[in-house]
Amino acid sequence: MTTELASTPAPDMSASPPRRPWDFDRLLPYLLVIPAALALALVSIYPIYEAIKASFTKYLYGRPVGSAGFSNYIDVAHDPVFWQSMGTTVEFVLLAVTAETVLGLALALLVINEFKGVKFVRLSILLPMTIAPVVVGVIWRLIYSSETGFVDPLFVALGLGAPRVLSHETSAFVGLVVVDIWEWTPLLFLIALAGLQSIPQEPLEAAAVDGAGPVRIFFQHTLPLLIPILAVGVILRLIDAIGTFDQIYVLTRGGPGTATQLISIYAYNTAFNFTDYGHGTAMLIALLVFVSLLILVAVALMRRAAARTS
Amino acid sequence: MGRFLKGLALVVIVICCLLPFWWLFVVSLRHRVDIFAGPAAWPTNPTTENYQALFGQYHMGSFLINSLVVVSVSVIISLLIGTPAAYALARFDLPGRLGSVGLMSALFVRMVPAILLVVPFYIALGRFGLLNNRLGLIIIYTGINTSFVIWMMQSFLAEIPKEIEEAALVDGDSRWSAMWRIILPLAGPGLAATAIFAVIATYNDFLIALTMTSTPKSQTVPVGISTLIGKIQVEWGPMAAAGVIGAVPIIIFATIVQRHFVRGMTMGAVK
Repeated sequence: MTTELASTPAPDMSASPPRRPWDFDRLLPYLLVIPAALALALVSIYPIYEAIKASFTKYLYGRPVGSAGFSNYIDVAHDPVFWQSMGTTVEFVLLAVTAETVLGLALALLVINEFKGVKFVRLSILLPMTIAPVVVGVIWRLIYSSETGFVDPLFVALGLGAPRVLSHETSAFVGLVVVDIWEWTPLLFLIALAGLQSIPQEPLEAAAVDGAGPVRIFFQHTLPLLIPILAVGVILRLIDAIGTFDQIYVLTRGGPGTATQLISIYAYNTAFNFTDYGHGTAMLIALLVFVSLLILVAVALMRRAAARTS
Repeated sequence: MGRFLKGLALVVIVICCLLPFWWLFVVSLRHRVDIFAGPAAWPTNPTTENYQALFGQYHMGSFLINSLVVVSVSVIISLLIGTPAAYALARFDLPGRLGSVGLMSALFVRMVPAILLVVPFYIALGRFGLLNNRLGLIIIYTGINTSFVIWMMQSFLAEIPKEIEEAALVDGDSRWSAMWRIILPLAGPGLAATAIFAVIATYNDFLIALTMTSTPKSQTVPVGISTLIGKIQVEWGPMAAAGVIGAVPIIIFATIVQRHFVRGMTMGAVK
């Protein structure tokens, strides 16, 4: 079955008995769509309107005190902390998503064939991404802590010094990337697994008969077929990773210093701790434009993948 | 790869995935004094004092009730308004590419990171006096869940052959009754999976609830958990116990919908 993604609307099948021009069946599609459309507008069009308005307003201690023109946007462009946070975000996202893609694919290849206990292994791999990111943060706070965790004792047992992961800039950043990898490799794993399962086996078997080794079969036959589907996972993960907030809020709040201050943490602090909604929303609108472009790419990729995994 | 190496790799993988959960559980069962004595891999001398403290002085009862109310009301409403819309988008040819526009805006709402929307949500709820109010959270979650329901249900409904409905229409059913009598029962399993996914996503949300609420009167479980982490002191035991309470219902639900997880996470693009 093919999913009817946005490109191909289903054919009209209302060619049934004779009817009046405005009968109930004719109006039905609109009646069905309107409540949902209103709910969606309430959480998309309306907040974006509010955000644009706020980004052109001057705020003082959380109160609007007049029009700001473009000054909020100009301030953002000249804000070194904004650019620093963007840089940290890009670094974080690229490191984490690359590792998750490679690991997810490797795991999928490992459990693609049925064996005793395969269901348990697949469920175990799935679990980290199901629980709340806040709980993920709590778990790793316990693990990294020198009081309750096993990371410091492990390093000491190996004859190395206790790293106190969250207390140093570099290790805190790496520590957060590790948390993200633990939490989100499962998503790439699941998508890679679904992709592998949808690949027809005959061409692979034919290649094997022709004497191709498993490595060559993988790179020449499997991977090209897998990429369109894997791409969906990568782009979804990219978009989501840009907004990473909960785990960092629980683990470091952006510290030590600004080592783990992703753009989400900086925007949140600007808006709610410094109550400068103008500066905060200008920042978020700029980011929204960027993320919207990524979403457009995502939609194109998803449309293509939907046609393949049917 | 040899069987032994593969087996070893699988054991290591399962340990990497599950050990952090076990660690959380162990800390939640340890006495305060034991926690400060050093880490342990096994709950020697287990206690429920952390859980008691959680429901006593740390308001976990109200957090759970708030989560229950907010999650169930918003998921039920979004199923009621999202499923009919999904049906219309999957079955009718709406004029002027209205169908594509509808699906696209639903997708946008679902995919955009919450941080990009919380400031305007905050300003908007403040305007209507709905900050620190469960109704405010319900309104936002309903909108976000509706976008998810539309995509998931559209994907499930598109799998039901149109011929089944056409047969009912030829037999003299109206489209309305065909929808209720024929399609809805067939879509039942998909509807259940969609509902569970919406529950997981809503129960897990932190940033929106953190921004819109400020007291245990309306704070949800994830926000409640974060209140146990002070700037200087962390209440390890109660925090771990809260993590367990936050995780257990979700692990159960996730196990139930395991089969549909890929579809749920990719909004129907990959199955």
